[in-house]
Amino acid sequence: MIRDITIGQYYPVDSIIHRLDPRVKLLGTLLYIISLFLFDSFAGYLLVIGFIGSVILASKVPLSYIFKGLKAVIFLLLFTVVFNVFFTQGDNVIGEWWIFRLTWEGLYQGAFMGIRIILLIIGSSIMTFTTTPKALTDGLETALHPLNRIKVPVHEIAMMMSIALRFIPILLEETDKIMKAQMARGADFENGSMIQKVKALLPIFIPLFVSAFRRANDLAMAMEARCYNGGTNRTKMKPLVYASRDYIGYALLGGYIALFVVLNLWFAWF
Amino acid sequence: MSIKLVNINYVYSKKTAYEKKALTNVSLEIQNGEFIGLIGHTGSGKSTLIQHLNGLIKATSGHIYYDGEDIYANKYNMKELRSKVGLVFQYPEHQLFETTILEDVKFGPKNLGLSEEEVEQRAKDALRQVGLAEELWDKSPFDLSGGQKRRVAIAGVLAMHPEVLILDEPTAGLDPKGRDEILGEIAKLHKERKITIVLVSHSMEDVADYVERIIVMNHSKVFADGTPKEVFMKYKELEKIGLAAPQVTYVMNELKEKGIDVDTTATTVAEAKDSILAWARKNNWIEDKVEA
Repeated sequence: MIRDITIGQYYPVDSIIHRLDPRVKLLGTLLYIISLFLFDSFAGYLLVIGFIGSVILASKVPLSYIFKGLKAVIFLLLFTVVFNVFFTQGDNVIGEWWIFRLTWEGLYQGAFMGIRIILLIIGSSIMTFTTTPKALTDGLETALHPLNRIKVPVHEIAMMMSIALRFIPILLEETDKIMKAQMARGADFENGSMIQKVKALLPIFIPLFVSAFRRANDLAMAMEARCYNGGTNRTKMKPLVYASRDYIGYALLGGYIALFVVLNLWFAWF
Repeated sequence: MSIKLVNINYVYSKKTAYEKKALTNVSLEIQNGEFIGLIGHTGSGKSTLIQHLNGLIKATSGHIYYDGEDIYANKYNMKELRSKVGLVFQYPEHQLFETTILEDVKFGPKNLGLSEEEVEQRAKDALRQVGLAEELWDKSPFDLSGGQKRRVAIAGVLAMHPEVLILDEPTAGLDPKGRDEILGEIAKLHKERKITIVLVSHSMEDVADYVERIIVMNHSKVFADGTPKEVFMKYKELEKIGLAAPQVTYVMNELKEKGIDVDTTATTVAEAKDSILAWARKNNWIEDKVEA
């Protein structure tokens, strides 16, 4: 059940995308998200879908696994779509009930926002599926390194992020275990009124918080025992080095951006 | 009361890169009043197996019958099953959440929908049974020591009056004294209240002194199933799968090899002592004071 939540997890297979330098993937994801928000037509999405589709194909992560990650945000998705469908102002009214007003513009807007959110989540989860938390942090740390000059604690931020990512599966597993333990004591999380359901969460959340603090404490202790003291003067055993495939990756990204600019200009003109 | 498992298979995270077979064709029957030790290496499937027994995990294929009733049948009452088959997880102290110990133990019976007096009575009985001093009952469970917390957690399951009590590594992380106390209390429960007990452990030493039957799991399959004597006779095979028989089994087998005719099936230190003394007496190594 809860261990089926796949968002933000690493998917261990060997593929060209997995081997790509994390900096390429970080920049790629950033550009991808920007492009997603700048397109405002379905035609533009064809390019985006083509791009992300080929990345998914190259990454060897099964499509079903990626879509499973969407389950976690299904409510956000439904919420957005429903609001857009019923509360978009428009003249081409299809039907009207009470304060709701179904218009063609609304339907268009709803479908548009729905696709945008789906593509956004798929795009960013592809990065976490193909990049180990360690590689991700390394990439982020190196990419943000210049910010050190204006006193941004880049290493610490990267370390916090990697710990947070590392803890997601651990805490999910812990939640699963606690839920089962309370179910074994007759707890019921599915039936009952809204208030009863919220109350039923207490026996999960309290042990979960206690355990999260305990784990954080243990981790801090273990890090200190190994003389961790932040990023100053810290060297890396495996520094990030670009390989030829990474330059090809950058080139492909450049191609995508060029196509994107051309398409946008073309839409603007016609 | 009996639990019967027929050809149970279970696969974790099916059809993903994390796919892992946890149980393969497991069939076994647990009878009323048995005291069973379930032994196996980390990852052998023992924890998965016990979660099947109260329906927390549904088998990928196969059937489980409790008292002859199929627990996967459409309208089977899972909640009732969970009150009859009590499961104490590994490190059960991590599930405590209430403000006081007594309140925490009441959580289980409360979920059964009993009256307030009945709930209170059961909780107090359970706490007495695990030997937790009365002056602690109104304290926060988070203030207790590790061993005490574990007793509270076990009491939390006991208070539901289960017919079967399953304990997953109840002695993990406890010192020898705590271990003996917990195991002693479990044995007492079995004796006095005739509860069926399944004790999960990876230590033969732990279970050998108490259980009547041992089930050994290895690589998701049942490797051996029988009385401690029958299972420990295969001590050489057990070694191959990374488990060991109790120390006395080795001592007795060595003695036998050296030509001393002792009972190699002795599984506890007490049995071994009797057998060695009997041999010594027979060979006039010691004077028998009773006869003299």
